[in-house]
This record gives sequence, C-alpha cells and structure tokens, in this order.
Amino acid sequence: MIARVTLVVLGLVVGVYGAVLVLDNPPVIIIRIVVWALVGIVLHDLVFAPICVALGFAGRRLIPGRWWPPIALAALCSVVLVFLAVPVYGKPGMRPDNMTVLDRNYELGLWISLAIVWACVPLYYLAMRLLPVRQDEMVDQESADDVERQPPAV
Amino acid sequence: MSTTKLRGTAVTARVGLALGVAVAVCFVTGLISHFIQHPQPWFFWPTRPVWLYRVTQGLHVISGIAAIPLIIVKLWSVWPKLFERPIIGGPVRQIERLSILVLVGSMLFQLSTGLLNIAQWYAFKFFFTTSHYAMAYVAAGAVLVHIGVKLPIIRRALGEPVDDIPTGQLVGPTRRTVLRGTWLAVALATVVTAGQTVPLLRKVSVLAPRSGQGPQGVPVNRSAIAAGVLRSARSPDYRLTVTNGSTTRAFTVAELAAMPQATHRLPIACVEGWSADAEWTGVVLADLVAAVGGSRDTDVRMISLEPPGPYSRTVLPARHARDAKTLIALKLNGQPLDLDHGYPCRLIAPTRPGVLQTKWLARIEVVAS
Repeated sequence: MIARVTLVVLGLVVGVYGAVLVLDNPPVIIIRIVVWALVGIVLHDLVFAPICVALGFAGRRLIPGRWWPPIALAALCSVVLVFLAVPVYGKPGMRPDNMTVLDRNYELGLWISLAIVWACVPLYYLAMRLLPVRQDEMVDQESADDVERQPPAV
Repeated sequence: MSTTKLRGTAVTARVGLALGVAVAVCFVTGLISHFIQHPQPWFFWPTRPVWLYRVTQGLHVISGIAAIPLIIVKLWSVWPKLFERPIIGGPVRQIERLSILVLVGSMLFQLSTGLLNIAQWYAFKFFFTTSHYAMAYVAAGAVLVHIGVKLPIIRRALGEPVDDIPTGQLVGPTRRTVLRGTWLAVALATVVTAGQTVPLLRKVSVLAPRSGQGPQGVPVNRSAIAAGVLRSARSPDYRLTVTNGSTTRAFTVAELAAMPQATHRLPIACVEGWSADAEWTGVVLADLVAAVGGSRDTDVRMISLEPPGPYSRTVLPARHARDAKTLIALKLNGQPLDLDHGYPCRLIAPTRPGVLQTKWLARIEVVAS
C-alpha cells in the first residue's frame, strides 16, 4: 500500500510540474499542444482502433484459422512500418540546403520491408506444419481430457 | 476447438512492463540531454567515455521508437474498456478516466512529436524542445500514477500463466503469439531505424532519417546556407578572436594551422539521435585558452559567425574546456573542414550534443570566474 501511495503522490508531483511547464507558454501555444495530444487520442480510439477491429472481424471469417497467427503478426509489423514511414516517405521535412537528412529511398525501403514481412507468412505456416513438434509443446497443449483416468483403486 | 480471448491483463501487464522500461529509458536519457544543454549546478556530466552522449541520445531515440509498437499493442489490449459501463459514472470513475486520458494523450504526444522531429518535419506549430520537455514530465507523472493505481492487478497478472486455457484446444493465435509478435514488432522497428546510431544496421535501416552519408563522411544538421555564413566563413579577413578579460589575441587560419595539432577520433552525436565517428584534427582548446592566460577552471564561451540565435553561442563547462581531447578542429577525416561542417574552425568536444559543438567559430571567450 505504501508503494502504491508513493507512486501516485510522486506521479502527481511530477505530472503537475509538467503541467506548470506547459502553462508557461502563451495561451495559443497551450491550445495547440493540448489539441495535438487530443487529436492523437481521437485518431487512435475512433479511427485506428475501429478499423483494426473491423479488419480483425472480417479476417476471422475469411481466413482459415491456421493462417491467423502469421497474418496477425504481419499486420502488426506492417502497421508499425507504416507509422515509422509517415514522417519520411514523402520527405516532408526535406530542405534543399541539406541533403544529408532524409537521404534514403524511403518508398523502396518501405515496400521492400513490407514484402519481406508478408513473405514470412507462408514460411511461418510451412514451418509450423513441417517442423517436428517438441515434447514440451505436446504437454503444453494437453488439457485434462487428454490425461487418462486414474486406474481403479485395488 | 475454440478461440481464446486474446485481450486480457496477462498481455496488457507484460507489454505494459516493457513499455514502462522503454519510457523510463527515454525519460532519463532525455533529462540527461536537457541538463547538458541547460546546465544546473548539481548536474555532473563526465568527459569519458567519449561516446557517452552518443549512447544516451541514441538510446533515447531507439527506446522511443521501440515504444511505438508497444503502445499500439497496449492500447489494443485495453481498447474495449473505453466502452465499459458506466461510461461516465461517479467521481472516482471520472478521475480514473481523466488520468487515462492524460496518460494516453501525453504518451501519444511525446512519441508523435519525437518521431516527426527526428525527420525534421515540423508539422506542429509549437516549439519542439520546450513542449517535448514539459510533456515528458506529464507523461512520466501519468505513468507513475497509472502504475500506482494498477499495481495489484499488474502483480497478479504477471504471476499468472499467459494463456488461461490449454493452447492445444485453440484455433488461431494465442496470447503467447500476441506477446511474441509484439517483441518481433519491437525488433523490426529498431532494425529499420537504428542504423543512424548503430553503424552495423546502417544498410538495413531503410526508414532511418539519416543514411550516415554526408560531406567528408559525416552528416550535417545545420548547413552553412541555413546559418547564413557563406560569405563570412570564407572571407580573407577571417580571424578567430580569443579573449580573457582584457587580453585578446586574433588568429588567422594559417596561424591556427601552424600551432601544434592534435588528432582524435570523436563521435558527433546529434540530439536527433544520429551519430557518426570521425577523425578530427586541430588545436587543443586548452592551448588557445592558455595563449590568453586563461585558467583551467573556468568555463569558455563559443561564439559562431552565425547571426545571433538559439545555437549561435554556447558555454563549454570548464571540465570539457580543459580536456585534452577538446579541439578547435580545422580538419575532418584528413581534409580541411567542409563549409557545412564549420569551416574555418569548429569546436569538437567529447560527450557533448552536436548542437553544442559550435561551428564557424568567430570568438572564444574565457568566462570570468
């Protein structure tokens, strides 16, 4: 309990200090900062998350069960790659006086990395089918129904 | 055969723990960088190992990027709670919801502004450094409160097995699959970006804002054009003025080159996370300070040819100023400095952020102690 109270009190002190630093700005800047944070939440909760739910719902009905794990992982990796590509893909921050920033071919980079991620999906599926199943995994996967009943008491 | 409920505290707590570690690394390394740039009397920053800032700031950006897949999975694992009843509820419920709002808002703010900043895309119309610094405390505070509130649930979840039903009964992914996938996504995010800090990954970091290329093999953050020094840096009247109180000496480039030269391998490490090792040759700063009778125990101010601005002058603490590896560099990797690297001469000191390694030096002042 002491640990919990300490964490909450410390958190409040640190957080309020941050709020004071934010409030040091002119009102228009404070509004821009708060709006940026709120837009992040709205985009996640009301756009990104519902799209993921819809895709997951559709995927579960259209794709055979054995393919779900690799496809779900590939989808997660793709989302991460796309997020990381947003600030570099069209090079919106590029300035003509400095060619050492944003100096890669990000379009090619993103598409190749996405292709590699999705190429792993059939490989994962094949590996799961072809690789020998280890004893531990067999035991892991057993439930009470798989265990034979006790022999009758003599 | 059945499908499992993938969301659950077993996943949330484990991903949350990893996210907590990433946030802690980010916060501490960020504070280090802040206090190097805004020194406080209590803050101690050593000059060795020379790559120290390269590591701390590289970690800052790497852990921030690693937090992106973690926060995606963490938010996914708790998203249905958004619609749990009562939606509004009593004061306790409202406070809980407000704390989560602050937590998620500040975390998304930090990760999104940080990611945009390393790509120099200033889509936001507020000053990056001050707002990222202020919101870091808001985010850190919200994380601490959140851990305090959820501690019993976290403890219980970490003590229980990941999957609550035997995996053999399942079709499709298990919670273990979700966790493994999360670690995989973290590894992927790191590999495709960390090459700007970790030379080994340079070729595969296809989404890193820097390839590590640049004039004389080193990237540039502020160009000579942006700094407005094209003419003044190449002027035949150029002199480096070194002052200590009323003692003043002026050096031409040829005079600097005629002084004893030292060569050191030092990294240049940017606040934006990229870094590169290079061989710098020039005059040891302590020799110049001694030439005007300056003490080894005073700070030294570096003033650029660049017109006054936030980074056109910096103060080098005495500990760094007297260090034998701190150079007023004239050469980079064996060639006279490129104009974009600070020709005619620049400061290069160990364990300092690139933004404080003043380029196009005009004046060096021993600060009165």
